This record gives sequence, structure tokens and C-alpha cells, in this order.
Amino acid sequence: MPALALQHVNKVFGHATNEVTVLNDVNFEAVSGEVSLVIGPSGSGKSTFLTIAGGIQTPTSGSIVVQGQELDDISGKARDALRLNRIGFILQAYNLVPYLTVRDQFTLVDRVKPKGNLNASALRHLLEQLGIAALIDQYPAELSGGQTQRVAIARALYQNPDIVLADEPTAALDSARVKVVGQLLHDLAKEHNKAIVVVTHDLRLQEFADRTYAIMDGQMTLN
Amino acid sequence: MFLALREIRHEKLRYGLIIGMIVLVTYLVFILSGLSYGLAQQNTQAISSWRVDRIALNKDANDSLSQSVITKQAADKVKLTSHEAYLGQTGVVAKAKGQVKLSAQFLGIDRDQLIYRRVKVTAGHKPTKANQILVDDSFKDNGYRLGDKVTLNAADGQYRIVGFTHNAKLSVAPVIYGSLGTWRTLSHLTADFQASGIASTRSTFKAQGLSTLPLSKFINKLPGYSAQNTTFSFMIGFLMVIAMVVIAVFLYILTMQKLPNYAVLRAQGIPAKILVTTTITQALLLVVAGLAIGAGLTLGTVLLLPAGVPMSFNVPLLGAVTGGILLTGVVGALIPVKVILNVDPVSVMGG
Ligand SMILES: Nc1ncnc2c1ncn2[C@@H]1O[C@H](COP(=O)(O)OP(=O)(O)OP(=O)(O)O)[C@@H](O)[C@H]1O
Ligand SMILES: [Mg+2]
Repeated sequence: MPALALQHVNKVFGHATNEVTVLNDVNFEAVSGEVSLVIGPSGSGKSTFLTIAGGIQTPTSGSIVVQGQELDDISGKARDALRLNRIGFILQAYNLVPYLTVRDQFTLVDRVKPKGNLNASALRHLLEQLGIAALIDQYPAELSGGQTQRVAIARALYQNPDIVLADEPTAALDSARVKVVGQLLHDLAKEHNKAIVVVTHDLRLQEFADRTYAIMDGQMTLN
Repeated sequence: MFLALREIRHEKLRYGLIIGMIVLVTYLVFILSGLSYGLAQQNTQAISSWRVDRIALNKDANDSLSQSVITKQAADKVKLTSHEAYLGQTGVVAKAKGQVKLSAQFLGIDRDQLIYRRVKVTAGHKPTKANQILVDDSFKDNGYRLGDKVTLNAADGQYRIVGFTHNAKLSVAPVIYGSLGTWRTLSHLTADFQASGIASTRSTFKAQGLSTLPLSKFINKLPGYSAQNTTFSFMIGFLMVIAMVVIAVFLYILTMQKLPNYAVLRAQGIPAKILVTTTITQALLLVVAGLAIGAGLTLGTVLLLPAGVPMSFNVPLLGAVTGGILLTGVVGALIPVKVILNVDPVSVMGG
């Protein structure tokens, strides 16, 4: 059973003459233990695809199945719980709460979900790996774009989700950091049996992927 | 609580300003209600201290003590028990050598009756002779002393202050207690007149030939009393409404500004319930802080004010004001709840 599957998903924005089909009959599967990469140019529908896959946006038609559960069938509350416990989101922008320090971003997760998060030493290891351990007392406004992105990655992984959905996680990173993040996601899949989904236009991530999809004008194809 | 406190800590200026605004509004409402209650009390303190239930007045007096006189003939038709007392009222100007003139209310009472027994003395003693008077503490605040000889109006004769009593005010003037005989003299009445009215502690008291009214009605008919109260009630009422609208609007704007943050939290899977409780907790924290500081300022003001300014606080009234402002905070925070619940995480993502 795939960890995440999209079947015949369509997304249409606007009405009548303004209608834009952003996702066109998308079929997609992500499997535990694998990194799935979705590559496409800007405006091809990557973010739309990812937010629909994670249940924060609803498709016009089609179904999304997370760990065997059809998203259409569950309540908003259950979807929240799913995002909190099973899915780690790394959004393209605006991932952090501006009035919380980096440390408190993690504390917040503990407050809302006391169990199942990384332990202190695992968190420290993760922060060191991402090179952000020294930033622990900074506010998001005091971080650079790349640092923000890495904190967002750490925050999503801290929840220890079964499925990680990442939107352009390397957009603001240099090549060395891209390798670190790519390797990190790859290891997560292999060592912790996570399903990792990364949407990006960053071809440098290709070497860490188990399978690669291409998305173009809302059409998804498996390479 | 975690989110609520962290945000206030990070946005000190913004939240400080809102607390400041709530402080000012609260302070204004507290001071105004204190003044209004203080003034209302100064109309009635003396009467309240007798703890009577009903007052009988001349039928033609239009329920006003100062307009009422009861003839001896009419008074004799009413049998008094130990629960009733005669009461003669007239406005006077008191003057003693070397002291300021004071406008006062003279109340003639009978030494064998209820009111005389119930009046409490804070210094000196109750009058035992016709030329002795017991006066309100505000005489003391104005420099009058025990033993001072006082002239009342332009009348001949001097009256000696033999005692002080606390909080004896009628129609916002200090009260001078003396004998019914003195009242007759001051009012230029002959011995054919007995008193202005008859007070009784019995709720069933009814004086034949006179108009008997319950105390609450009597107080409402005091000159200026209800006009003054209505004015203040309107002022406080309007102020409360304005305060509520302003506080609610501020909290609403505050919440709307935070929607992007809520969107992030929603995307992280933080339940909407937590966001709503955070918002309400925050509103309550702000309002409680504002109320506390406002109350502190009010207290400070009361301590600094000269004794002459009538300020007094009535717990139910303050409770209602405080409760109203607290409620406003919650309502202001609750108006945007629907927006919080429906906030679209995608709206902030960009890209
Ligand atoms: N709410 C919306 N209403 C109308 N059109 C939208 C909406 N959201 C996205 N679109 C359109 O859908 C298309 C795909 O958007 P999407 O954000 O998925 O692209 P993307 O592949 O993530 O691009 P990028 O690489 O720049 O992040 C774009 O043409 C965009 O204008
Ligand atoms: Mg995008």
C-alpha cells in the first residue's frame, strides 16, 4: 500500500472564461522508504499538487488516499490530526511563526502534540546536521532565507512524520547545503522508512530520488 | 497560553498600546461611576443612616420633605410608636467666628425618638439641650471644632457644636442635627407646627391624613436626585458602549492582522480550537491587565483627591462595569472566530 496516493486529481481555479486547469488528471504514488521527486517549471502546479496531497487544499475532483484513508471521508479535525501526527509540511514560504524563537517553534509542537516527537538529542543532531544549532534563540525575522528554510525543514521533521511533503526545500540553499538536505531526506527514507515527497525545479536533488515525476502545465508523468 | 504569552512578549509595543487604551477607558469609567455613586450617596447618606422604611409628609408637599409641614393638629391624629420619629428639615447657612460659611441642611429631631437613637457620634456627644447641635464631619474638615458657637441663618441665638457624626449628608449638603424647637425657630413657624415629616421603620406604617411613601420613592423625589442620577447613568452607559465598541474593534483588528500566522499554524496541523483559545486567552489577558492598572490608577486618584470630592464605590456597580469590559474583550476576540476557523493555509504560502 502506498503511503500517499492521488487518483485522477483535477484542480480548476476560477469560473467560466477565467477557468484555469492547474492539475489535469494527476495520478501519483509515494511509497514508504522512498524519495519521490516532482520536477517542474514555475507555475506548473507543483505547490497546488503538494497542498492538495497534504489536505490543506481540496481538489476539484479526484481522490487522495493517505495511509489507506480517503481524505474526502474524514472530518476537518481528523485532517488536522493527520497533519499534526503523520504529515510533515515544508511550505515554500512563511513556514515559521514570527513571534516564536527557533527553540519555541519546537516547543509549540511539544505543546500541541506531547508524544512522538524527536527526543532532545535527536533534535540537536538534526540541527547540527542542518547547521542551525547556533540559531536556536533567534526569531524568524533574524534569519536569512536559507536559514529559515533549514529551520522549516527541522521543524517539519521534528514531528517525526511518516510522510514528508516539501515544497522547494532547497530554493534558497547553496550547492553544499543542497547536498546536505538531499542526503538528509534520503537517509530519512532509507533508515526510518519515511515517504518523502519533494516538489522542486532544482535538478541538483535528482541524485537523491528513488523515483522522479515531471509536471508540466498540470500534467504529471512518471519518468 | 504559550502562544498568547509569547506573542505579547514579542510585540510589546503593540500590546502595550492596547493595554494602555483599555487602562484609560477603564479609569474613566471607574472614576465616573465613583463620582456618580458618591454624589448619589451624598444625597441620601443621612436618610440611609436612620434605616427607616417609610416617610409620611403633608399631602400637598409633592413628596418633598423640604416642602412639607405637618401641623400639630394633623400630627396628633397619628399615633407614634417607638418605630416612628418626627423630622423637621430646613436649609441653613452656618457660620462661626473665624470660620467659612457653610450651607447645610438642618434636621430637627426629638431626643426621645428613633432617629436620635440611631444617629452615630464620632466625636463629642449627642445634643442634650435645645441650643446644642450635632454636625457632619465635613464641618470638621472645614475647620470647625467641638465647642464652636455657630449662628444659623441670620437668626439670633447661637448653637454650640457638641458632637460630630460621620457621613451625614442630605441633598449634597452636610447635616446639622438639633431640636425640633430650633427647627421651628429657623423656619419661622409657631408651636402649631409639629414637623416636616414622620419617618418610620415599619413597612406597614400609614399616617392618616398624610401621604405616606416608601423610602425609595422618597429618595427619588429628593430635589435634583433623579435628574442627576439619570444624567450619570446615561454618561456611564454611553461611555461603556463606546468603550466596548473601541475595545472590540481593536481586538478584531489585532486578530485580523494575525491571520497569516494562523494560516501557518493551521498548515502545521495545529487544531483550530487551540488558535481560538489562544485568541480569547490573549484578549482576556489584555483586558484583565488593563482593568487591574485602571483600578490601581483609580485607587491612587481616590487617595490623592481632597476629601470634599464625593467619590465612593459600590461593589455591584463596579462589578457590572468590570464584567462588562471583560465580556467586551471576549466578544471582540470572538467576532473573528469564524475567520480563524476558516483561515486558508494556502493563502500565505506564495509561489
Ligand atoms: N488560488 C489560485 N487562484 C487562481 N490561480 C491559482 C491559484 N493558486 C495557483 N494558481 C495558479 O496555478 C498555477 C500553478 O500554481 P502553483 O503555485 O502550483 O505553481 P508552482 O509550480 O508551485 O510554481 P513555483 O515554482 O513558482 O512555486 C499558476 O499559474 C498559478 O497562477
Ligand atoms: Mg510553488
